Amino acid sequence: MKKEVYYIEAKELAECGKDQIPDELKSSKHLIYSSPATLSFNSPGAQGFGVKRAGLAIPGSVELLVAPGCCGRNTTMLSELGGYGERFFYLLMDDTDIVTGRHLNKISKAVKEVVDSLDMPPSAVMICITCVDALLGTDMERVCKKATDAVGIPVLPCYMYALTREGRVPPMTAVRKSVYSLLEKRKRVGTTVNLLGEFAPFFDDMELYEILRSAGVKKINEISRCKDFEEYMSMAEANFNLVLNPECRLAAEDIKKRLEIPSIELTRLYQIDKIKRQYELFAAALGIKIDDQKYYDQAKKAINAFTNAYPSTSFAIGECLNADTFELALALLRYGHQVKEIYGTVTPEKFVYIKKIAQLSPHTKIYTNLSPTMMYYDCSDSKVEMTIGMDANYYHPDAVNVSWNEERQPFGYCGLQHLFEQLKEAMDRRNV
Amino acid sequence: MKGLLKYLSPFAPDQSGATSVLYDLEGITVICDAGGCTGNICGFDEPRWFEHQSAIFSAGLRDMDAILGRDDRLVDKLKDTAQKVHAKFAAVIGTPVPAVIATDYRALERMGEKRCQMPVIAIECTGTRLYDEGEEETYLALFRKFARKDVERDDKAVGVIGMTPLDISLTQGDTFLQEKLQKEGFERIYSYGMGSGLEEVKLAGSVQKNLVVAPAGLKPAKYMEKNFGIPYEVTYPFLGENFLNQLKQISGKKVLIVHQQVAANEIRENIRLSHKGEKMELNVGTWFMQPKDLKEEGDLVFKTEDGFIKHVEEEQYDVIIGDALLHRPLKEFKGTYISIPHFAVSGKLYDGR
Repeated sequence: MKKEVYYIEAKELAECGKDQIPDELKSSKHLIYSSPATLSFNSPGAQGFGVKRAGLAIPGSVELLVAPGCCGRNTTMLSELGGYGERFFYLLMDDTDIVTGRHLNKISKAVKEVVDSLDMPPSAVMICITCVDALLGTDMERVCKKATDAVGIPVLPCYMYALTREGRVPPMTAVRKSVYSLLEKRKRVGTTVNLLGEFAPFFDDMELYEILRSAGVKKINEISRCKDFEEYMSMAEANFNLVLNPECRLAAEDIKKRLEIPSIELTRLYQIDKIKRQYELFAAALGIKIDDQKYYDQAKKAINAFTNAYPSTSFAIGECLNADTFELALALLRYGHQVKEIYGTVTPEKFVYIKKIAQLSPHTKIYTNLSPTMMYYDCSDSKVEMTIGMDANYYHPDAVNVSWNEERQPFGYCGLQHLFEQLKEAMDRRNV
Repeated sequence: MKGLLKYLSPFAPDQSGATSVLYDLEGITVICDAGGCTGNICGFDEPRWFEHQSAIFSAGLRDMDAILGRDDRLVDKLKDTAQKVHAKFAAVIGTPVPAVIATDYRALERMGEKRCQMPVIAIECTGTRLYDEGEEETYLALFRKFARKDVERDDKAVGVIGMTPLDISLTQGDTFLQEKLQKEGFERIYSYGMGSGLEEVKLAGSVQKNLVVAPAGLKPAKYMEKNFGIPYEVTYPFLGENFLNQLKQISGKKVLIVHQQVAANEIRENIRLSHKGEKMELNVGTWFMQPKDLKEEGDLVFKTEDGFIKHVEEEQYDVIIGDALLHRPLKEFKGTYISIPHFAVSGKLYDGR
């Protein structure tokens, strides 16, 4: 008997509405398929900037993972990446530890031994803890304070609680708060701004840098570009924070509370008119004028170049990429392309896009990567010319792919422009 | 300090071992975790994940599932998946989360079998132990549950126990072995853990003999000997020609071999054969299980990174043979290091040469 893959068409999903999302699309209602397409989703510590790697965002810091061996297993992979091999340490918990919590008494000693083993003292020690301590109710702040006193170096908690992934403070939100928690109040400098949200730099030619400079900003800080600990600490001098990833909202709120630095949030978008509108609102909020015509024209030119060369291209869009899957799908539809399939996580917030997708392309199929039925996905049933995202590439290995998930982060017109340039280059290569 | 790793990273845990044995058995494997353990297994410890599919799923536990012990929800999810996926049985694999909340695995088995109308086994992994313990427990659970007593002896069939990528660092050990065993007259090779399915496990009581290729296979092989009268041999036929030639070139007097015990024993025997008449000290050390039957006097089990470093410093070896990752802590070692991958250590495959 042939097993069916679950999907729902955009029109049908839009009709269900955000309060009636089918159970098949809710990860809490079924076992989770950890498809090769989606490993980075299902194991937040495994690929890209998961909690463990993100915890090392503070320049000069090292990390001690305090957990059963299984939690640190895939870090072997990270250790092979440049610069990380010397920064990860492990305190393995045994059967007694996970029941009694006696490992907590060893942490100060372990931190001291790690610090003593290094040629140069680290700027900070991140203590990464996992589901076991979530269940034990460990007061890691207190444990870290004790360790700080023992070694005279800041020791900070870093929570890799997979159990709370869909909770109020998911791990990637918590780690963003942790990595800014060492900042101490300083005199604010009116011409300094922090870009918060990512662990790798934004594209060097991102227009936001020029826009901020033209508005009088002289220093733009990003944690990933801080060369040393002092430069990191100077982020406390910022006049305001620009939050470019919603997972950094909690960190921004914490910074506002502790350091009285306000924040403004901007969203990564791929609909060119929405990018323009967002900059208008941003300008109004700051009381400045933004001339974005040049960047708008460049992005528009890239969209037109691709669209004229490859009109009405049929796409499949994944979720392992630097974009909101549904917003990107909507953007492509609005530029005149087809979106045959979307592999995404449907949440109530996505309905603002899903409703519009349903109007433009009611038969777009929406899949969830995590459904057990995705084992049986067969691409021969669909005609897709191009895919965006690593997961979409897995499902359609013969289609032209742009993975669009590099560590360098796209944003604004610049991101849009580069995406369409990459799409065109990929199609051109196929046609050579 | 016990448990502290400053140079090494953790080795494959018990849940990876259990899943590895089950990978090709056409069942549903449910890792009883929040998602991270499954990601570790599929993304790192199971190289076959990128070669061919297996129905491995995460239970997707959330904090309230663990706090309230909602096993019934897990069984509901299992039933839902059993209706959507082709499978002959289901296995539930433990992780630290159920270990902390003391999940009753036998109850899970009973509830699962009743609701899903298919056999269910549960393997009590904790994530704190090593892969070989998970493998051993899984082999035993499979033979106890599925090996049929009513099968006739088949002299053309041979069983292989302990053949997983974690142990042999190959993903196609079954094809590697096929030619060799066919030459010995075997027509049916039941390689549990790699290549063979549940039907072969059911026929495990029919084979002429079992080959044990890793320490985790020894206890299950003894179980089959005791209950089915099947003899076993311990062997490791996976060393390639280039590597064996390298062993012939060894010129030192004092050699340490670090691997899983069966592989290490095979390396030691090869050195002995190629250096007949030479006075050499050949020590085997392992980070994993070391059954009494497989060890020689002086063989070691390493428990801590510090202990490993200290031993190597004190013993002044001329040659060390082991996974390349194990070289990392040995900063003071001045001898020759010959690397041979052990997937459970570094996650690196052996190219078979």
